[in-house]
Amino acid sequence: MTVLGYLANGLVFSSIIVLGSIGLSLVYSIADFANFAHGDTMTIGAYAALVTFGAVGGLGGAVLGLPYGFFLALVVGIAVAAVVAVGTEKLIYEPLDVDSIGLLITSIGIAFIYRAVIQIRFGSDFTRFGIQPLRPIESLVPYGVRVTLHDVAIVGSAVVLVGGLHVLLQYTDLGRKMRAMADNPDLARVSGIRTKRVKLWTWVIGAGLAGAGGVFLGLFNQLSPRMGFNLLLVIFAAVILGGIGSVYGAMAGGFLIGMINQLTPFFSNVVEALPIWPGWLAAIVRGLISIEYANAIAFVIMVVVLLVRPNGIAGEGAT
Amino acid sequence: MSRNSMDLTDRRTLLKLTGGAGVAALSGCLSTTDDGGDGSDGSDGGDGSDGGDGGDGSDGSDGGDGTDGDDGSDGGDTGPYQIGMVDSLTGSLSAFGERNQRGVDLALQRVNEVEIDGRELDLIVEDSESENQGGIAAAQKLVNQDGVPFLIGAVGSGVSLAIYESVVQDTDVVQLSQNSTGLNLTDFPGLLRMSPSGRSQSLALSNIISDDGYDEVAITYVNNDYGQSLTDAFVNAWEGDIAYNNPHDQEQQSYSGVISEMDSSGADAWLFITYQAEFATMVNEVYSSGYEAQFYGADSVSGDNVIENTPEGSMEGMKIVVPSAPVEEENYQSFADAFESEYDQQPTSWAAYAYDCVINAALAIQAADEFTGSALRDTVRRVSGPDGEEVTSFEAASQILADGGGPDDVDYQGVSGPIDFDENGDPVGFLQVLEVQDHAYEGIDFVEG
Repeated sequence: MTVLGYLANGLVFSSIIVLGSIGLSLVYSIADFANFAHGDTMTIGAYAALVTFGAVGGLGGAVLGLPYGFFLALVVGIAVAAVVAVGTEKLIYEPLDVDSIGLLITSIGIAFIYRAVIQIRFGSDFTRFGIQPLRPIESLVPYGVRVTLHDVAIVGSAVVLVGGLHVLLQYTDLGRKMRAMADNPDLARVSGIRTKRVKLWTWVIGAGLAGAGGVFLGLFNQLSPRMGFNLLLVIFAAVILGGIGSVYGAMAGGFLIGMINQLTPFFSNVVEALPIWPGWLAAIVRGLISIEYANAIAFVIMVVVLLVRPNGIAGEGAT
Repeated sequence: MSRNSMDLTDRRTLLKLTGGAGVAALSGCLSTTDDGGDGSDGSDGGDGSDGGDGGDGSDGSDGGDGTDGDDGSDGGDTGPYQIGMVDSLTGSLSAFGERNQRGVDLALQRVNEVEIDGRELDLIVEDSESENQGGIAAAQKLVNQDGVPFLIGAVGSGVSLAIYESVVQDTDVVQLSQNSTGLNLTDFPGLLRMSPSGRSQSLALSNIISDDGYDEVAITYVNNDYGQSLTDAFVNAWEGDIAYNNPHDQEQQSYSGVISEMDSSGADAWLFITYQAEFATMVNEVYSSGYEAQFYGADSVSGDNVIENTPEGSMEGMKIVVPSAPVEEENYQSFADAFESEYDQQPTSWAAYAYDCVINAALAIQAADEFTGSALRDTVRRVSGPDGEEVTSFEAASQILADGGGPDDVDYQGVSGPIDFDENGDPVGFLQVLEVQDHAYEGIDFVEG
């Protein structure tokens, strides 16, 4: 496989991580706690889409190898994830009068509840959307790029969603209010912004993006009750690498972590080819830069970046 | 500036908490590693050594006192013979426990229709909760309180080993595991088992791949005891080249790196020693990357969930080796018929193993001079060993013994295979080779381990 091929794989995987990490960072900046139920919110989105897709079917035509029904299911997945997150905020986080650490611990409990509910309804086994997997796009194979139309759809949809968020944050009234609130909630409130409402919208957007990420993760790989939770550590790494609380940082962090994860085989090829001296050092390096440590390598890079820039890539700039 | 430093401390606590929670999350992963659920999972044997702290040596030898008390037979020579069984009635391996119990009930019926020298066989079943501690507690209860000289148990290899090391070793009690396939059980000759060792799978795979004409293979295995031990056994048996041999972690969201490396290794035969979910992900990624290779797999990659969640034709021609009862043999078929009329479903080989455990135990009791561990230890191997007349039912074997035959005059052929424990306490395993044809598993061959 060529560098281009690894980069393409990395792009697809990054898209999913970016969708997950934006929501996590957004909620952190405005609701002010690290939401450990975020991964399971992704799972909820994925399973909501599974149910919808099972109910509505393909709906005739298809675009990018995906039936129209799947896009409807995607929207439902996003909506359900948002509704569940807002419901949780209203029922649990808001009435709960504890500090951010208390909320963090609570969210771990919430994560278990989400997962248990899904497990009760769908069992613990894995499943897939009833969509026929595709072969790679023929015209790209000579370049060593082996991606399917589905992968293109994942990247495309992620770009649309992330672009939409950018427009929302920069050019709309709500976006300005959100940025104001992330910067200084008290000042925002004093200047007449209804912070509670902004907070709810934050949950809607954050959880909605997570839901979309979950649906794409299900399409990319498979659905299982632990799918979101298994990705959560990587998402946290992405968010912290980017600078927690910063949406653009989360995008950059998600992109980097996804890329590093998928590029590990390429790195090991490079290390293989490098004339490292002395020999024992080469052996150690080659042993460490290996596919089985893909996640560990991503985390090491995260630590290195944090040593240089303690506040992450996006520095201390909020939102 | 003050805001900035506040920000920093916030971040610091967050990082700490994330780390802590991460550890918690990881430990969560560890515990679920065991619910992978299939037979070979039982072989997460590394845990076994933990068992040591559960019951110390002295407890074990107390067990010896319990057994020579002959309490069971004191109840008059007409009372039932009492033996014990540790099974996974609850916990991550409870599906196996359920299968075992069906086989056990059927076997007890068979034995008690004929009776052992006019006495019934009574099996006390205790739950291991599929955990080492639960297994040790159950075994201690059976050995020390009930004083059973013969213990069937357990399912998971780790649990079997924990029981052996902390309860059975240094006593006269005979332990016969019904379902453990872990390779390391071979190192304990005193611990018998009815299900074949994973090693026989590795040997069979190595033979099949070279018979198919490949001299180069790429292997990926799940990063735990099970994957490692099967792979090591394969590598030892394999005489060709190994182009790629790397582990992968469980529950990753993508294995495209692994499969692209396997592809670039140049080998045309790919061997997967992993679990169903991971394997299904890999197959889908191989399919959507357009790679072509001949697949081989250990039993843990087969399952209906894999078939359902992979595209048609993506695994065509794949060969998988699974522990199996010799389903074409007559005695298995009569067992299957009886099983079906009783439970309205096909038996699994795990039920057959449990069935044979009980029959083998009953024959050992009948052949022994007295109902003690040391006497049973002598007969348990001989009644099903290669010497003597081959018989396929308890009734026939019991008849030979009743007519004055010794343990060496009988060779009980189990429904799960010929048994014939070797010097390490492992049976001659029976393996079935499955091939994926038209996206379904078809049995194409049987091999003896």
